[in-house]
Amino acid sequence: MSFPPFALPASRFPLPGEFVFATAQYESGDWDSAPLVPANLIDSLARYTSLPVAPTGAIVALASDDLFRFPLVFLTGHLPVRFTEAERTNVRRFADRGGMLFVDDHNHDIDGAFHKTAVEELTRAVGPLSQLSNTHPIYSAFFKFPDGPPNTSHELNGWGDNLVHSHLLAAMRGDRIAVLYSNKDYSSEWGYHPDNKRFLAIDNTKFGVNIIVYALTR
Amino acid sequence: MVAIATLLWRAIRPPGAAGVDVVRGDLQRALARWTRAPATEMRVVFDAAPDPRTRDWLHALARAGGSVRWSSSRPIGPAAVVAEPAAKPNGTTRVRLVSASGEAVSVADDAGAIDTLPRGGAREMELGAVAGAVRASGATFTATSEARDSVVLRSVLVLGAAGWESKFTIAALEERGWRVASRLRVAPNIDVTQGPLGAIDTARYAAVIVLDSTAASSSNAIARYARTGGGVILGGRAARSFAGVSPGRVGARVAGVAGAVTSAAPRSGLGGFPVSSPGADAVVLESRDGVAMIAARRVDAGRVMQVGYDETWRWRMAGGDESAAAHREWWTRLVAAVAYAPLVPRASGMTSIDETPLASLVDALGPPTPMDGRLATPRDNSRVTWMLFVLVAASLLVEWTSRRLRGAR
Repeated sequence: MSFPPFALPASRFPLPGEFVFATAQYESGDWDSAPLVPANLIDSLARYTSLPVAPTGAIVALASDDLFRFPLVFLTGHLPVRFTEAERTNVRRFADRGGMLFVDDHNHDIDGAFHKTAVEELTRAVGPLSQLSNTHPIYSAFFKFPDGPPNTSHELNGWGDNLVHSHLLAAMRGDRIAVLYSNKDYSSEWGYHPDNKRFLAIDNTKFGVNIIVYALTR
Repeated sequence: MVAIATLLWRAIRPPGAAGVDVVRGDLQRALARWTRAPATEMRVVFDAAPDPRTRDWLHALARAGGSVRWSSSRPIGPAAVVAEPAAKPNGTTRVRLVSASGEAVSVADDAGAIDTLPRGGAREMELGAVAGAVRASGATFTATSEARDSVVLRSVLVLGAAGWESKFTIAALEERGWRVASRLRVAPNIDVTQGPLGAIDTARYAAVIVLDSTAASSSNAIARYARTGGGVILGGRAARSFAGVSPGRVGARVAGVAGAVTSAAPRSGLGGFPVSSPGADAVVLESRDGVAMIAARRVDAGRVMQVGYDETWRWRMAGGDESAAAHREWWTRLVAAVAYAPLVPRASGMTSIDETPLASLVDALGPPTPMDGRLATPRDNSRVTWMLFVLVAASLLVEWTSRRLRGAR
């Protein structure tokens, strides 16, 4: 079995106390469509914070018990998503126990296959998604985003559904986010080699740091 | 004439001391009689521990100068029950019960039975709701208690680095109703904060949880907080910065048993830093393979607990079906064990609280005294009165008959 760059199987992470960025592997669709995102966010976390972070991300199967070793899991893809029963059960348990699933629509297409099927599946697993207020603490967990989720170049260029999505969606457990859902295609926005960050006037992965810090503190 | 005079005398004479009066069974008439005319020595034989009213009445007779002695027809079981508010935010009442007699004890409140201890013994239980008083009843006693205070619970302060342990510790406490303030280090001089933050003192916080070394700069303030009555929990390696107040030193890290978080002993699957060399005044609360994992000690007016586990979140996330609830309950119990929780008396209409029936009886009347000789039945003065009345009536009848017969001649 081969793994994308910057990611290793979940079983390779026995270290205590280290944050490990985990990407969800699911049976349907193209779970590995954004292989550079983990490395980029790990780089940003190490760059801006003093949190101990594993230099390599992990890949964790949604249906596996290893899922519960990584309380923040990133899930992305372009293709239709159909969870297996084991995946659905695990996602529900994961959310109920306090885990946070960050789902990004790599299609950036509100009528697209990923969005429709992923929302359906997530609703079945954890309950309905609703708009997340743009004053939610996740927008001030580390960097300040007073206008809510930062727009992506793909939105501004009119790609995908030609919409600038003003809100993220979320399923809550109490006052905590259990599932954070984005149509903004951060998978494309953050999908570049970390070394190329130096060519950006403004680091566009800062919101990714907020998501991780929020997950680690709330 | 003598009988009439005697009757009149008995009716108007002042009460005076009688001799030895021994009573068993129903005491109410004897108590009333002794109150009017105390006997020189009042002896009581109980079948069971008397209710507080009877006991207090006898105590009053003794304090009024009478000699009250008691014994029991069978051994009265020593027992105690106490109900008090638990230092938890969900309003639970903690009931502690002990009975040393070996007899069955049933526990009930005004709403009905709660539990039964077939052979007595000791039991501590936490009740979500209690209707009225809690009664523990055995064959020879009924002990009664009621929570007479309410507890004041302030926020819990969590200090540490941002991470899964801090996140899930806060979550566990909040889900159980605690108000939590936190200061979590994310980067040098950058903290993520939550809730009311201010000086660390007992006016603001019920407990402070220090999860790692990031709060080392506050160690003096936290130690002072503990000495003034606050509760402190030192997690993982945090105790290294609190040498003056920590129950022990921080041992070398031990790994958890792989896969054990889903077992019946889930904490054996957690790694951590054992409590090494616990102090003489420290109490080891939990051990694993002979190594202390949790220990606590009193520090002046406060309590400090050292918890070796540094990844309890794995228990919650990866444990069995009940692991999230168990993790919540476990953290709540730890905090409740050290929390500064002042009590505020609340109005109570309860007047028959009797938490220690036998001890209170001994306290009121002294230890039991073996009875010498046969038990007498209560002296019944009404029989003498009746006999005198019959004598007077018979005399009148004889006198009347005599006069009638004299007139017939």
